Amino acid sequence: MTAASTLGVRPVRASLLRRLKADYFSTPLNAVVSVLCLAAIVAILVPLVRWSVINADFAGTTRADCTSGGACWVFVKARFGQFMYGFYPPSERWRVNLAACLMIGATALSFWPGLPRRALAVPVLWAGLLVVAAWLLAGGAGLPRVETRQWGGLMLTVFLSVYAGALAVPLGILLALGRQSELPVIRLVATIFIEFWRGVPIITVIFLASLLLPLVMPAGWDIDRLIRALVGLAFVIAAYMAEAVRGGLQAVPKGQWEAASAQGLGYWQTTGLIVLPQALRISMPAMTNEFIALVKNTSLVSIVSIFDLLGIAQASLADPAWVGMNMEAYAFAGTVYWLICFGLSRWSRHLETSRKTTH
Amino acid sequence: MPAGELTRYFYDKRVREIFWQVALLAGLAGTIVVVVRNASQNMVNAGMASGFDFLWRTSGIDVPFVLTNYTPDSNILALLWVGVANTLVITFVAAIAATLLGFVIGVARLSANKLLSGLAGAYIEFVRNIPLLFFVLFWYFGVIAALPGPRQSIGLFAVAFLNNRGLTIPVPTDGTAFRIAALVVLVGFIAQAAIAIWAKRRRDATGAIFPVWATGLALFLGVPAVAFGIASVVSAWDVPALRGFNFRGGFVLVPEFVALFAALATYTAGFIAEIVRGGIQSVVKGQWEAAYALGLRPNRALSLVVIPQAMRVMIPPLTSQYLNVLKNSSFGAAIAFPELVSVFVGSALTNTGQAIEIIAITLAIYLALGLAVSAFMNWYNARTRLVTR
Repeated sequence: MTAASTLGVRPVRASLLRRLKADYFSTPLNAVVSVLCLAAIVAILVPLVRWSVINADFAGTTRADCTSGGACWVFVKARFGQFMYGFYPPSERWRVNLAACLMIGATALSFWPGLPRRALAVPVLWAGLLVVAAWLLAGGAGLPRVETRQWGGLMLTVFLSVYAGALAVPLGILLALGRQSELPVIRLVATIFIEFWRGVPIITVIFLASLLLPLVMPAGWDIDRLIRALVGLAFVIAAYMAEAVRGGLQAVPKGQWEAASAQGLGYWQTTGLIVLPQALRISMPAMTNEFIALVKNTSLVSIVSIFDLLGIAQASLADPAWVGMNMEAYAFAGTVYWLICFGLSRWSRHLETSRKTTH
Repeated sequence: MPAGELTRYFYDKRVREIFWQVALLAGLAGTIVVVVRNASQNMVNAGMASGFDFLWRTSGIDVPFVLTNYTPDSNILALLWVGVANTLVITFVAAIAATLLGFVIGVARLSANKLLSGLAGAYIEFVRNIPLLFFVLFWYFGVIAALPGPRQSIGLFAVAFLNNRGLTIPVPTDGTAFRIAALVVLVGFIAQAAIAIWAKRRRDATGAIFPVWATGLALFLGVPAVAFGIASVVSAWDVPALRGFNFRGGFVLVPEFVALFAALATYTAGFIAEIVRGGIQSVVKGQWEAAYALGLRPNRALSLVVIPQAMRVMIPPLTSQYLNVLKNSSFGAAIAFPELVSVFVGSALTNTGQAIEIIAITLAIYLALGLAVSAFMNWYNARTRLVTR
């Protein structure tokens, strides 16, 4: 304790040098740690910047244009259309862009505070969007058809995430309610369903869906293989969503149920009007985290030869005209995934903190 | 029956509850009947075999990484066992490495040194926001494939060699000494568990405190170190050496194994680090202060007040991370590492075509391993959850 602080005199703001010394070189151990960290940062950043920016090639159209020895971004530029849209016909790509714009608009509208009758408006809005977007992407009814075999790249990653997520959220809420139900049969069925899908690897579920779904359909029915993977993903994510929602349900005090019953509300009224709005607000960050996991797990569809962003990046390495572009392809795909997931996780954290201030 | 009585039935809570449950069961039973009928019809139409006889057929599949005494002449059941063994081995080693790395990074994240905590934070944010499949492919096609050939291997202490054909490690020619050492370590673990139970009973009864941490440290770290140290000195070693264009001797960890291990360990470590950070931060300062106010010394406050509360927060998500490692070991299928999914759902299914049986067995194995952990977690959650009225 220094004399200044005991006398209640505030010391003048320490100089930068002194603060650096206090923060990073206060003890010998701290100094060693600081120097090692600095060395690590330099050892990582310098080669990275040199490879990706200083020695990189940006201009040109073929492999021969890459002469500097660094990253060959020409490759990514030449493949950009495929990384984004897969083999979607270039003349029809406006449909994908339009669907993406509609989705961004719907997301913004869902979080607009002035939206009237939110509890009804948001599900209706999204149901409508999913139908319109599916029509835009697949075609039919006035638009030329585009087979799902031609879909790919980032567009497919987003498609799988959004549609599997949209199926998983309502199913997950029902499962969570079922697991908390007082009726033993319903509780048992919901618990078995949740634990089954949470207990098995997603790869096996994607195999299960793509190999066995056609087998259990009536003879002559054929399900699109993209839909098979989508159903498999949605079931697994629903089970994880259910656990996220259950956390929220458990956090709603029992008194809320009792107060609602005392008002004469039945089970569905209590659930829909009193409990779920509170529970969902609490589980929103956890549900966002499950959605991030879903975005990452969509990459597994490449196991059954559906080429999402990562799958198409991997497949592009086999092109004899672009041998040895591993690092460029991975760097691009990794950066896109990172930006999407990091953005979502920041948003989830924002939800968490904004919830804390309202209480 | 008069109409009034019917409506009374309709509004009776018990009657309605039974109705909904019966309706659910009927719906499920109906779905199952339709599914089974469709499946058997489709299988007859396609001329597919069914039943589990195929397990005793000769497999004829060559597996590059075998820890059992499997050969291509063995039956498919033996092939299944190769997959299970490889899954368990990669899960075990990756979980241990991820835990060590995760604890180090998690504690570094809480460091007062902003450079260190920033570096740890950057690692966590990097790893958590990219798909695991990316890392598996990256390590396999980006790193291991880019390593030099056997003649320019990277030597590790001149006994292990890393090159683009994998990691060649020395193995003892006779494992007897190591088996004895493992047995000694196991006995030590059991003794520690017994001491802990006895010490807790005595503390509850008399208040006397026994230094469980000291015996724990000795039995968990000291005894294994000494036992395996002696074993490695007395055993003869088969050290790999360069002969011509490749290594002779030792045991080759195939590139798939090295890549999957590296990806699983580094990826899971990012999640474990966050769990460790959260666990330590979750114990509020007031708990320390309250413990001091009751007259506990710092180490007692730590072991009796803070650690039990931090563990309450850390154990369930840690367990679920280990479960994730088990499930994520199936990513080996993407680079043909012969774990359960790869050898069974991949190779064996292609050979026999019995999709239903093979997928059912695979799911059952993962469920049996996973449900055990889930049951434990739910029991732990129920036991430690803060109970309200």
